[in-house]
Amino acid sequence: MSVALANYIALSAVIFMIGAAGVVLRRNPLVMLMAIELMWNAANLAFVAYARASMNNAGHIFAFLVITVAAAEAAIGLAIVVIVFRRAEFVDVDEVSVLKG
Amino acid sequence: MLAQPFPLSDYAAILPLTIVATTPLMILLLDLILPKGAPRRDAAVAVGIAGLLLAAYVLVRQYLAHQFAPAFGFGFILGGFSIAFSLIVVAAAIFSLLMVLPQRDDEKVGPSCALMLWSAAGAMLMAGAGDLMTIFLGLEILSLALYCLCGMVLRASPVRLREARESALKYLILSSMASGFMLYGMALLFGATGSVNLAALQAIPAGNPVFAMGCGLFMIGVAFKLGLVPFHVWMPDVFEGAPLPVTAFMSVVTKAGMLAVFARFLYGVLGTDHQALIVPVWIVAGLSMLVGNLAALSQIDMKRLLAYSGIAQLGYIVAALAGTSTLGMRYALFYLGAYTFMNLGAFAVVALISRDQEEDSHLSAFSGLGTRHPLLAAAMAFFLLSLAGLPPTAGFIGKILILASTVAAGYQWLAWLLIAGTAISVYVYIKIVRAMYVPVDLAHIREIRPLSYAPWIAVAVCAVATIALGIYPAALHDVLPRIR
Repeated sequence: MSVALANYIALSAVIFMIGAAGVVLRRNPLVMLMAIELMWNAANLAFVAYARASMNNAGHIFAFLVITVAAAEAAIGLAIVVIVFRRAEFVDVDEVSVLKG
Repeated sequence: MLAQPFPLSDYAAILPLTIVATTPLMILLLDLILPKGAPRRDAAVAVGIAGLLLAAYVLVRQYLAHQFAPAFGFGFILGGFSIAFSLIVVAAAIFSLLMVLPQRDDEKVGPSCALMLWSAAGAMLMAGAGDLMTIFLGLEILSLALYCLCGMVLRASPVRLREARESALKYLILSSMASGFMLYGMALLFGATGSVNLAALQAIPAGNPVFAMGCGLFMIGVAFKLGLVPFHVWMPDVFEGAPLPVTAFMSVVTKAGMLAVFARFLYGVLGTDHQALIVPVWIVAGLSMLVGNLAALSQIDMKRLLAYSGIAQLGYIVAALAGTSTLGMRYALFYLGAYTFMNLGAFAVVALISRDQEEDSHLSAFSGLGTRHPLLAAAMAFFLLSLAGLPPTAGFIGKILILASTVAAGYQWLAWLLIAGTAISVYVYIKIVRAMYVPVDLAHIREIRPLSYAPWIAVAVCAVATIALGIYPAALHDVLPRIR
């Protein structure tokens, strides 16, 4: 028994929205980075599901590419969070407000 | 289908890209070998510029040979289109590298130059991207290097350091989120067609909901990176916080790379069948012209001001594409070229008048520049007039061409918005010109002692190009028709 493509896509859309909401609503940069990872991985899930449905390996390869880039992005992201909040006791993006946005 | 290895000609097609991507390795190696101080610093910039010039030479050779070759199974498409955008990226990178020198910090000059070149390589990859995977890869190479660059201030005050790191964090989070939107859009586009190739996306009939949603999410990502209006909030903060050479670099290279992707998507995929999907983009472009210029009115920091003016300028360039005519593409490229020279020229002047170790881009730094340094002030005035679109400059010709193409495409309202935006922008730029030439008590003006005269080269080249394109636009126009 196989799961229909639409279910995978619905799941990935839900994960994507949770990720987008997380970036907008949460104030902790680490949680925001995790939420961004959710968004990216929701796309991965969609890629893999579509690739399986259309028997086209390009989607699988794309997912691997995204995983690799996400790793690099996480490394840089965590490094930046560390230098920004090195001396802070807790991390909250509302504290980062030298530049008036 | 792809079981065989790629032919050698595929690798020849990406030769300029390879040169730009490998030069940083040499810079980092020299950084280890050379003694600390001037040799190490100068070598990093010199090697970087040499690499870029070599890449430019290869690009020109490819252009003259009329090469049009899809490489790597349509992953990278070499042609006049990709070459023109790559040349703009290379030129912008050279000017930005020249601005690195006045800010002396031996520890960070090498890595800064290396990251800048890698970032440029990402933009060049985007310029030739023929499928979604290459677009994503190029975009991320460009962005990841820029996140680091934003935080890499050379020796500076604690406040300045905090500003720079803050800009890096903001850019990282907002840009990654935009990449997320774009990526999900790409997944949906892939789902709608079963292919990542842009050429295959073309075959989708209008009205496919998955395709429409994919396009929408993709365009949100594009609008964010271009800094078009509802998605522009990151730009002023990131531009103000990042080191000056990086701001200058970002203001052209990210835009050129993304514009190439947008234009290819627009012309290659949406074409004429999906006009309904693309109308929001023109509205967004029109809004950018107004909001960017209005917000620029009240700015007192030069980098912030140029960020807002950049939002408006990008609005003009995107407006040129309205109607998706071949002519519109050519005019957009002309304006992008003009924007590269006038914008980077202005940044180079700011780099020259920056205080010794500190970056000082406050508008008050410009008061009395006309008497203190007439040549520099004249160049700056010229760049600003060009940005405002007054004759006899490249900006003027560019705007006339864009007006012509939007009207020809039937987007009169866009042309009116362009004129309104231009009218507002004249105030913005004239304010600075006036500050430079209004007589002031010279005793209160600090001496300008740039640490390096390298940005002078950028100022001179940009000034000559801005004038030349303004007086004799046919020079570029004769070259452009070959672009496809």
